[in-house]
Amino acid sequence: MTTTQGAPVAELRGAFRRYPGVVALDGVDFSVQPGEVRAVLGKNGAGKSTLIRLLTGAETPDEGIVLLGGEPFREQGGGRTREATRRGLRAVYQELSLVPSMSIAENMFLGAWRRRGGMLDHAAMVVETHHALHRLGLDLDPHLPVSALSPAARQMVEIARAFLGTPRLVILDEPTSSLAAAEVDQVCSAVRAAADQGVAVLYVSHRMNEIRRLADSATVLRDGRIISTLPVAEARTEDIVQMMLGRVAQAQRVEPRTGGQPLLSVRALSLPPKLANVSFELRAGEVLGIAGLLGSGRTELLESILGLRKPEAGTILVDGASVPRRSYKGMIRRGFGYTPESRKEDGIIPLLGVDENTVITDFRRVDRAGVLSGDAIARATRTIIDRLHVKTAATSTPVVTLSGGNQQKVVIGRWIHARSRILLLDEPTRGVDVEAKRQIYDIIRSLAREGRAILFVSSEIEELDQVCDRVLVLRQGCMAEEHQAPDIDAERLLAACLG
Amino acid sequence: MTVSTVTPALPRRAILPLGRHVNELGLVAIILLLYVVFGSISPGFLSANNQVNILRDGSTIGIAAWAQTLVIVAGEIDISVGPMVAFISVIMAFALKDNMPLGLTLGGGLILGALLGSVAGVLRGVFNVPSFVATLGLWSALRGLALFMTNALPVSFADNDTLDWIGDNVFGLPVSAVVMIVLFAIFVFVSRKTAFGRSVYAVGGNANAAHLCGINVTRIRILIFTLSGLMAAVTAIMLLARLGTGNAGAASGLEFDVIAGVVVGGTSLSGGRGSMLGTLLGVLTITVIGDGLVLYGINSFVQDVVRGVIIVAAVLLNVAASRRSGR
Repeated sequence: MTTTQGAPVAELRGAFRRYPGVVALDGVDFSVQPGEVRAVLGKNGAGKSTLIRLLTGAETPDEGIVLLGGEPFREQGGGRTREATRRGLRAVYQELSLVPSMSIAENMFLGAWRRRGGMLDHAAMVVETHHALHRLGLDLDPHLPVSALSPAARQMVEIARAFLGTPRLVILDEPTSSLAAAEVDQVCSAVRAAADQGVAVLYVSHRMNEIRRLADSATVLRDGRIISTLPVAEARTEDIVQMMLGRVAQAQRVEPRTGGQPLLSVRALSLPPKLANVSFELRAGEVLGIAGLLGSGRTELLESILGLRKPEAGTILVDGASVPRRSYKGMIRRGFGYTPESRKEDGIIPLLGVDENTVITDFRRVDRAGVLSGDAIARATRTIIDRLHVKTAATSTPVVTLSGGNQQKVVIGRWIHARSRILLLDEPTRGVDVEAKRQIYDIIRSLAREGRAILFVSSEIEELDQVCDRVLVLRQGCMAEEHQAPDIDAERLLAACLG
Repeated sequence: MTVSTVTPALPRRAILPLGRHVNELGLVAIILLLYVVFGSISPGFLSANNQVNILRDGSTIGIAAWAQTLVIVAGEIDISVGPMVAFISVIMAFALKDNMPLGLTLGGGLILGALLGSVAGVLRGVFNVPSFVATLGLWSALRGLALFMTNALPVSFADNDTLDWIGDNVFGLPVSAVVMIVLFAIFVFVSRKTAFGRSVYAVGGNANAAHLCGINVTRIRILIFTLSGLMAAVTAIMLLARLGTGNAGAASGLEFDVIAGVVVGGTSLSGGRGSMLGTLLGVLTITVIGDGLVLYGINSFVQDVVRGVIIVAAVLLNVAASRRSGR
């Protein structure tokens, strides 16, 4: 590995990248120095992913050059990503790239196995994995299969893998979107420690507080251009948001509403070891937030209410009447709607159109005597698309081609189509850009104004005050505190979560 | 494929109406090419008589392929088709030999097919046995059972006018081809215009998400295999009428042709994507290849080799064409 001393770790010069109808990168000059932690900010479609794909060799620029360590790529096409890896580039994407059936240790060395005498050296891999995990504050058995891990733990394993060995540049694409605060701290300290050893880090994120904690500088992209690269310490958040959006964004606060009739009552729900004696009421017309760190039992709570899990004790009342034996289908019939945490794995049906992803919750509303009506489907979908501002070329466009935010709107919209009264939303803004988040908050508020009851689960503590009337803090399976709007404060919530 | 009609496309998608059917267009081109080639090298290939033959042979594959398309779209596979057809035809032949009325025999055969299919469906849907394994078990058990019951000898029965009519032509078309076309229309309708059909696509596209949307995934899985068994029984009736005897060794390798037809037709083995029209063209491709090679008169073992190569080449072309059209 020959490197010119003092050269940037990675550099783009005059890079253009065009897709049919879109200019993804419009003459970008970009460079990162060794030991620098650079935040990359921008809305979805601003060109962040394209910029990363040029650096990793997954794509080649239409014009301009890409330099790693001062030297251009030697390979063309598919060999580029391998060359980038050889030259010390590591990337962690939002989409996980682990093999679930293999152990953590095997995943850590996937494709770069430790060998001894022609055989795989499992012992060495386990030991190195243990150290790598330990640096991130993880106490996981390297022999565990990845399938046994929670989404957050998998993300941590991916991050640990990126810092394994001697990387020169690590690219983290929204690494913390599935992580809770304590794990975010671990990631931040791991990034800082690596930077101190001269590793350059590109950090793509929407979370300003993280960026402030760990980045030296920030590059803001908009419409394929670099708007500015500036030192983080001197930049005000409003300025950065303005650069990202191109206009001034107003932070808005909730006008608190008190709910009407209780639609859902949860009494003394227990599911050891995840939940202990959880009780609350959800009223018509209110948005109730559930704040809690990862592993605090948030998803288990929703699944127990919906009949997807069997709790050990507790009563669930819907419209004041107890529902002792719950089936998921029965709860849907009672007016529940559920958007799961993992949009890609449990939410969208990727190849089907926006239309079918919407009407799937209730075919009866678009069917005439057993025959689906194309007109009725298009009309029903159009209603949802217009109401939720889903950006899509046509109602029949495959949902997988939409951006994350628009996919999430479709997943929420299908329960509006089903006329659900009680919506349980598990992390609805995960992996969604700033503008789509804002729209999702507005959608949730307007759904509540219509008299629906909404349970909003989030690990992004700072968004709860923008959407919730009340917030309950779930800590280690117990209801720890309740906060009422307008006195919901992110710092106090976070403190309550941490305990 | 989606059911909606609104396609005001973006500029970059302006070619979409054509682009969406690139798979079907490619297959039409392949079939035309096969007609040109065989028309010039295989004597009698273009004769009207041979076109009827192609339709009749096609119906043996096609009827089972319509149901197989739904099975594969749902992310499953049914390899028990051939032995199931043979087994049901043997049972029906025994029934006719014992002078059971024709209506009762054929009705019983259809019910038997649906039941056998639902066994595979329950194994998959309820007990989570991979469908390849469940139908592999059926494949072996049914073939063995049919051979055991008949001692590998044909089961003959008294002539029956109605059955002869089914094995014959109507208005110059084989009855089996007419049945195939009617069933095709029904399956197109079911796959595109009913909640069941669209649920099959949803389950194949993402079973978790479909479940969380309230679709009964187990029920869908049982139903597609039941349909597959039912279509195997229809095929068995056509075969019985055509051969006039029940044969335990009949329809050998039929599942290969059925699955090949579906896959050549562009249906994804990983589920969630596929169309009946594609399968129709795929089945036609397979049948034309088989017929043309027979007429050309090459060694039947070499025929299998050529057929294998053409099938893989057709799918390769298709994948390349789809990729170019940006899907």
